[in-house]
Amino acid sequence: MTAAVSLFGIRHHGPGSARRLVEALDALAPATVLIEGPVDASDLLPLLADPAMVPPVALLTYAEDNPAAASFFPFAEWSPEYRAVLWAVRHGAALRFIDLPAGDRLADGDAAAESEVADAEAMDAVGRDPIGALAAAAGYADGESWWSDVIEQNPAPGPVFAAVADAMTALRSGERAISGREAAREAHMRLEIARAAKESAGPVAVVCGAWHVPALAEKRSLAADREILRGRPKVKVRATWAPWTSPRLASGSGYGAGVAAPGWCAHLWASGDADDRDTVWLTRIARLLRDRGHFVSTASVIEAQRLGVALAALRGRPAAGFEELRDATIACLCFGERLVWEDIAAELLIGAAVGAIPDSTPLAPLLEDLQRQQRATRLKPEALERELTLDLRSEAGLARSTLLHRLLALDVPWGRLADAGRSRGTFRENWQLCWQPEFAVRLVENLVHGATIADAAAARVIAAIEEEADLGRLAEWVRTAMLADLQPAAERGIDRLETRAALTSDCGSLLKTLPPMADIVRYGEARAGTAGHLAALMPRIVVQAALALPYAARNLDAAAADDLRGAILAAENAIQLAELAAETGDSWRRALHQLLADAQTAPVITGLAARLLYEADQLAADAAAELLGRMLSPGTPIADAAGFFDGFFAGSAARLIHDAPLRRAVDDWLLTLDDDAFTASLPLFRRVFSGLDRAERRRLFDAVFEKAAGAAAGYRLLGGAAALWPAHFARVTAILDGGAP
Amino acid sequence: MTDKLRMPAEEQYGAELAALAAGDTGKRPAGWALSPRAVVTYLMGGRAADGTPVSAKYVGDQRLIETAVSTLATDRALLLLGVPGTAKSWVSEHLAAAIAGDSTLVIQCTAGTDENQVRYGWNYAQLLAHGPRREALVPTPMLRAMEAGKLCRFEELTRMGSDVQDTLITVLSEKMLPIPELNTAVYAARGFNIIATANNRDKGVNELSSALKRRFNVVVLPLPDSAAEEIAIVTKRVGEMATSLDLPVPKNVADEVARVIAIFRELRSGSTEDGKVALKVPTGGLSTAEAIAVMVGGISQATFFNDGALTPAMLGSNIIGAVIKDPVQDRVVLGEYLETVLKKRRGFEGYYASLTDLI
Repeated sequence: MTAAVSLFGIRHHGPGSARRLVEALDALAPATVLIEGPVDASDLLPLLADPAMVPPVALLTYAEDNPAAASFFPFAEWSPEYRAVLWAVRHGAALRFIDLPAGDRLADGDAAAESEVADAEAMDAVGRDPIGALAAAAGYADGESWWSDVIEQNPAPGPVFAAVADAMTALRSGERAISGREAAREAHMRLEIARAAKESAGPVAVVCGAWHVPALAEKRSLAADREILRGRPKVKVRATWAPWTSPRLASGSGYGAGVAAPGWCAHLWASGDADDRDTVWLTRIARLLRDRGHFVSTASVIEAQRLGVALAALRGRPAAGFEELRDATIACLCFGERLVWEDIAAELLIGAAVGAIPDSTPLAPLLEDLQRQQRATRLKPEALERELTLDLRSEAGLARSTLLHRLLALDVPWGRLADAGRSRGTFRENWQLCWQPEFAVRLVENLVHGATIADAAAARVIAAIEEEADLGRLAEWVRTAMLADLQPAAERGIDRLETRAALTSDCGSLLKTLPPMADIVRYGEARAGTAGHLAALMPRIVVQAALALPYAARNLDAAAADDLRGAILAAENAIQLAELAAETGDSWRRALHQLLADAQTAPVITGLAARLLYEADQLAADAAAELLGRMLSPGTPIADAAGFFDGFFAGSAARLIHDAPLRRAVDDWLLTLDDDAFTASLPLFRRVFSGLDRAERRRLFDAVFEKAAGAAAGYRLLGGAAALWPAHFARVTAILDGGAP
Repeated sequence: MTDKLRMPAEEQYGAELAALAAGDTGKRPAGWALSPRAVVTYLMGGRAADGTPVSAKYVGDQRLIETAVSTLATDRALLLLGVPGTAKSWVSEHLAAAIAGDSTLVIQCTAGTDENQVRYGWNYAQLLAHGPRREALVPTPMLRAMEAGKLCRFEELTRMGSDVQDTLITVLSEKMLPIPELNTAVYAARGFNIIATANNRDKGVNELSSALKRRFNVVVLPLPDSAAEEIAIVTKRVGEMATSLDLPVPKNVADEVARVIAIFRELRSGSTEDGKVALKVPTGGLSTAEAIAVMVGGISQATFFNDGALTPAMLGSNIIGAVIKDPVQDRVVLGEYLETVLKKRRGFEGYYASLTDLI
């Protein structure tokens, strides 16, 4: 005795068909629910009903020995398959996937991909997009709207699934017999359905894509189906759940079966068949627009609603759908400007929901990959903090460093660079290792990006690079990618850096790219990564920044000048570090000279430029003293003179100790200040001289008073110092060797 | 052929409108001559129920026209925005012709338009002889449209002073026009509505107050997306205009339209069509409407002075007139374009020669 089988052809991620499906299941009360999905992952299905499981989530299957070969089956809150699982678990029905095992698809990544392409080519337009063909037949320009009107937004419950099956039968009757994987999948599903029908105690419900319904309903001999399945490739596969995000449900993200607007689907599902569905949607739009500073009145929302209804009537549709409400929004709320709509569209239509999975989920491939790499690099996860010094010249050291950097890129700070600053040697890294249990959770969250640590880190960094608008941070990301040996991410980042740098004329952001780039260029020797491309880019940015610098330094207020000072200092260090070609350095120096010559340059910047040139021997000592004298002379407004002084000496006051002409110029200037001006500049002096420690300050005093009083107050070399020193040295060594008591 | 230089849309396309009305089974809003769907067909082109072909009045996105028609069906006022030459007035005229059967109730807004031209004026002889009474009132097109339940068109709404614009607020929200002098009011009959056009490029216009703007649904008519679309528009309109001006249409008009449009689009967008060369942009808008004017001018010149042969030389002076709006700046722009782009391009030798001569 075989049980009755009902086929429910659904649209993947269709909220309306999910609702109809639940109604149909309630009516049928099946004892067994079969779902289109890899049969070997059936054990994981009940987990979907776990209270801690929050869609969107994806079923992740991957080859055991090669996690990079992985495939994802996403489920959203409103996916019919997800609803069917919930129904089955709640009603205690048997639950199974019936599609080919995942191993079939993953058996040989490349081969599978190729054959899929071939399959797609073999099918004509109708086969690729059955809904589109039906929609065209109904006079719709777009398949989504047709399905929306006829299935999803049909308020009268009727034999919807029968109608879908009829339509698909008509569509497929004209088709050649399908072949390859598609045929195998349908054969497999037929066999599974037959088996379930034999075993099941009550009716069997099959939930599958609408396209497959006619083929699954067909009577074929089991032997023929088994023949089709013979010799399919196999590979050992593991499966688990991974959190998913709503942007990756969108078809725009490259997910073939995705929906155009997940946000709209979520809204359709959440609002059900409620009468105020359109109003809720328009109110959300109005709120988003208001958040962005547009003026949207309630009256306009009412008008938008009326226009949407009128448009639907004009287009002969049963209710205002997505397109009608969009057109009405543009006309009533955005004053006809499409740009305003596009501004809110991403947030409204795509959303940013992230799913969550329960703790009981089987081990994720990222964790396995980590364990494998931990074994390979002989790094044990320990909760106690410990230090690790890596020599990047050795292969083992480099591998460990790459792993730690990749984990950092994934926001899993197992290791922290102890000397993350600039003092790092080029081939040595000091790490502080400390494993926290929550790192495992973070790794699992990263499954969205990929199934191996390298893939996930690259995808995550690329995503960050795509979003980054700031040049300086973009360069930081490139450095991150280079350190973590993520070639694709680094190349993408350099590309973006190149385009954005070409388009910008903002000197500050150009300068900010230089320090990270210098780091990479220097690092290129110790790392296997290719820094060559960047080495070509950096001089270009230097020249570009040098050209923009004189204009960027004009008419600045104190805060902006301070920012620019920091940027110039960092850039100067970077340029020296990167050891660029002579002509690049020359153009940078030329820019500094221009700063000096230009009277409109902010005084702080002039001072800084003068010092940098002086330190680089581009400005002779007497010329510097003369410049200092001129800038600090009574003709210059006190504020400007103070600014120049600040720019010149901040961070390098020690120069005054050794440089007599400079000291004299400063001294002369200080003496010209009257009481008020001196008091006004006092904080400035404090700031400049606070950089000196006590001993240095003493030496400066000595130097100044020596000149003023002509007395020998400074340190002097004793007459017989050279002869005395060996005995002195031996004494000190003896004390040190004796150690502390 | 009538003596009128240009007939209003409802006369010129009377046959199409009649055919559409005869076969129109759709529900018509009160006061409408056609159902909304028939109006869309009239504007976008198609066939009437009895098979009469309906020419396309607007070439572009059907959704925009649907939004415009639905707006008028909900008794909201319609504001058509766009840069000059994007067929705003053209669409407005045809909408009025199709919906109300009358496109002649027009108020051309200028800086000199005052309230008397928008609401009502007085016949002073009557006023002095008999005192204030209804007969002494001079109705404006808007008042007549309100009484007859028809569409009133405001051309270039933003050119009118803001204070005058705001007299529309009561009319739009309460659908009535008070006449305090007579202690009465005119209530709009069903079917009354307003279609306004405004240009969103010109500077120095009077921006709509937000109270007024809120009472309009806005449809922005874009410049044609693709060259093919623009060429189709120009070829069609040039044919129609030449016929109405009794000018024979030369055979090569389609080819010349394609070339003129190529020049216009490149100068307008600031880069060559293949995106390889960046160009300076002239001060004028170089709209589709100007391209049409260039072609019609060229055809007229060719008919009367060149035995009907439409050559680049005939079009050259018209192109110069359209491109060079600023005698100094635009001359440089055009000169650069001629030397860097047109000189080397095949098929444009004639244009290069005649434009270089003229410039």
